[in-house]
Amino acid sequence: MRLFGQEKTYIFPVFVMGLFSVTILAGFIGTLLPSFNYLPVIGHTNLSLSVWFDFFSYPGIQTSILVTIFSGMTASFCVVTLAFLFISVSYENALWKFFEKILSPVLSIPHAAFAVGFGFLIAPSGWMVRLVSPVLTGFHTPPDWILLNDPLGISLTIALVIKEFPFLIMVAMGALGQLDIKKTLLVGRALGYKKEQIWLKVLIPRLYPHLRLSIFAIIAYSLSVVDMAILLGPNTPSSLSVLVLKWFNDPDVNFKLLASAGSLCLFFIVLVSIFIVYLIERIAHFFLGPWITNGKRSSFLALFKPFIAFMGICIILFTIISSVILVIWSLAWQWRFPDFLPTTWSLNFWAKGMVSSFDPVMTTVVTGVASAFIGLFLTIGCLEHEGNYRKNQTNQNQNSQDLIGLNQIRKKRTNNFIKNIHYFLYLPLLVPQITFMAGIQLLLVIMKMDGYWITLMGSHLLFVLPYMFIALSATYLSFDERVTDQAMLLRRSYARVMLSVKWPMLLKPILFSFAIGFSVSVAQYIPTMLVGAGRFSTITTEVVNIASGSDRRIMAVYALIQQCLPLIMFAAAIIIPKILYYNRKGMQV
Amino acid sequence: MSLELENISILKQRSSIFDPVNLVIKPGEITTIMGPSGCGKSTLLSAVSGSLDKVFTLKGSVFLYGRDMANLPMEKRNIGILFQDDLLFPHMDIRGNLAFAIKEKTSRAQKNKIIDTALKTAGLKGFEKRDPSSLSGGQKARISLLRSLLAKPTALLLDEPFSKLDQTLKAKIRAFVFSQIKKMNIPALLVTHDPMDCPEGGVILNLNKEKG
Repeated sequence: MRLFGQEKTYIFPVFVMGLFSVTILAGFIGTLLPSFNYLPVIGHTNLSLSVWFDFFSYPGIQTSILVTIFSGMTASFCVVTLAFLFISVSYENALWKFFEKILSPVLSIPHAAFAVGFGFLIAPSGWMVRLVSPVLTGFHTPPDWILLNDPLGISLTIALVIKEFPFLIMVAMGALGQLDIKKTLLVGRALGYKKEQIWLKVLIPRLYPHLRLSIFAIIAYSLSVVDMAILLGPNTPSSLSVLVLKWFNDPDVNFKLLASAGSLCLFFIVLVSIFIVYLIERIAHFFLGPWITNGKRSSFLALFKPFIAFMGICIILFTIISSVILVIWSLAWQWRFPDFLPTTWSLNFWAKGMVSSFDPVMTTVVTGVASAFIGLFLTIGCLEHEGNYRKNQTNQNQNSQDLIGLNQIRKKRTNNFIKNIHYFLYLPLLVPQITFMAGIQLLLVIMKMDGYWITLMGSHLLFVLPYMFIALSATYLSFDERVTDQAMLLRRSYARVMLSVKWPMLLKPILFSFAIGFSVSVAQYIPTMLVGAGRFSTITTEVVNIASGSDRRIMAVYALIQQCLPLIMFAAAIIIPKILYYNRKGMQV
Repeated sequence: MSLELENISILKQRSSIFDPVNLVIKPGEITTIMGPSGCGKSTLLSAVSGSLDKVFTLKGSVFLYGRDMANLPMEKRNIGILFQDDLLFPHMDIRGNLAFAIKEKTSRAQKNKIIDTALKTAGLKGFEKRDPSSLSGGQKARISLLRSLLAKPTALLLDEPFSKLDQTLKAKIRAFVFSQIKKMNIPALLVTHDPMDCPEGGVILNLNKEKG
């Protein structure tokens, strides 16, 4: 049954694909031209390679590049390996169920807030050293170790692993539902294989394709992260992404050329890294075949089981303790070095911080809510179209005597369609933010459109939308369409049925997706810094800006405020359906 | 005196789901368990294979060639299972699927020979490189059985293995499965709700629970 309005939903995916490809392409051109010395606004019109020469002869640039590659690739490698091992040994056990519960709040912690707390933990004067001082170490003053901002970027790498690991696990949890795990384990065990070995040989190779895009996104993110790198990464010289931002914000406009070259270089590093991972995948495919079928039934992995579980627990513990230390610091008044807890407490810094952060918080909330609203509108539009598309396919097939063969073709075609839109939505997550944001900013300057709130909000939307889509798609598409069909027969109005039947029934996942969109917007640093042209400060830019040299107590207050905003939204997403449907048992699931 | 079920009953919340089962299956013989869906047929099979869900408690014992299976995990029991779904691994070719079952320390040449012979007996010569999803339902069912048998199980459990095949195919696959069990000379336990599935002259056990 098709009713008015239903056939027009194609507008949504077309608009989203258009928006994404045009902005990314524009951003790319806006970065490419200045890197070849073409930026008419500041009088550079002769195409030449001079910028690239300047870039590669900039003092310390090699170290910057190497540190970027080292920390980014090490972090990605550790995240992926750990995640696969963790899934293999703990799927569906008690620890896994605990992860399922705690994952959303853990993921909602903005990277910057986590980095601040993590810094308070591992710094020479941090909680970890305090825990063993002076009893074990004899320290009465903080040791002069370089634990934070270490030149190799190790603290940054560890922080990235802790922050990205839960993300990959969450994506995997969604994908694992599509594999027939229970039966596969039965078949494997009946053939004499140990559980761990079945995971490594059969299930992980099948899981990998589902995680490929997310893994690429993790690589791109780890290589190009800025806010965490400012807080935890090396600074003499800093990693490439931080250097690019510094150049971009330099009062001397000529540095914008250098920034363009730098961000393109970063893009190139990301491309090559992803390509290398793809090559490794191909080679592994070739070599793993004989290993999979070598008949070996037992696995070393069983021995490492406790160790891998321990690593998983550590990651979650570090995240939680990073928040706890923030709370303690924010309430501290006097806290001398080897003391484990402050000697005197105070609410002073909360009072101060609440007042001074009011404006940035308002900007953050307004931008977050606006981009999440538009994101939700577009996400639902795209999903509604996808649902209709699938339904039509089914109807056509039913008319022409459905055979098993036809059904399979239909399945394939819909899968292709989903894949296509997923690739588009993943685009902003696969290109370093700074690369195309820098280009967009330059174009906006040229068009005299920089520094408007609407462009700032639009830049957030580019990153909000993909996550909202990923979060909502599975639940939205598995909605029982017989309910909408039934409602259509009664109401005969597409909009009405959506508003009064389908969306209210899907309220919980819709609000959840909204909260995710909001938290993604809150965490944005680079889009706010570049597209906002310094005219807008959000709580995130404030957290990063005050981090250097500020009082730890005020830093803690700011980081906590940043962390609380998404949490409030998630709490609302849980509570609102409970209140609205308190007397509807069918909606309590 | 090969696969023995001695006074087997399965309890859920302290009440048994069927009357105690006593069975002796000799090598090469197939015993059929019949009963309506939900009577606990598949649960009984999972008790024998060692994959009984934790919500159930098992009473009685399972002996395989005189060996008590009680404390052995599923993967140590050496009992093959065949389900109604073929459950072939979609990321490997047919050769990979079959090689997966062959015991460790078999040379590559030997493996190839084993696989080649196995495929020949199933009338699927030259299928080594084929993608499992390109096979028909009957072909998949045969490969699935070959895979179970290449692990050299000492007993075979069949959990409604023919129920998804269409009528004409059913008879063929059934004959193939039964002949292979005879050839391997292992005891087999078949669970089904279709009387047509029972092999001629085999023992049939109706699983039921006395009222009260």
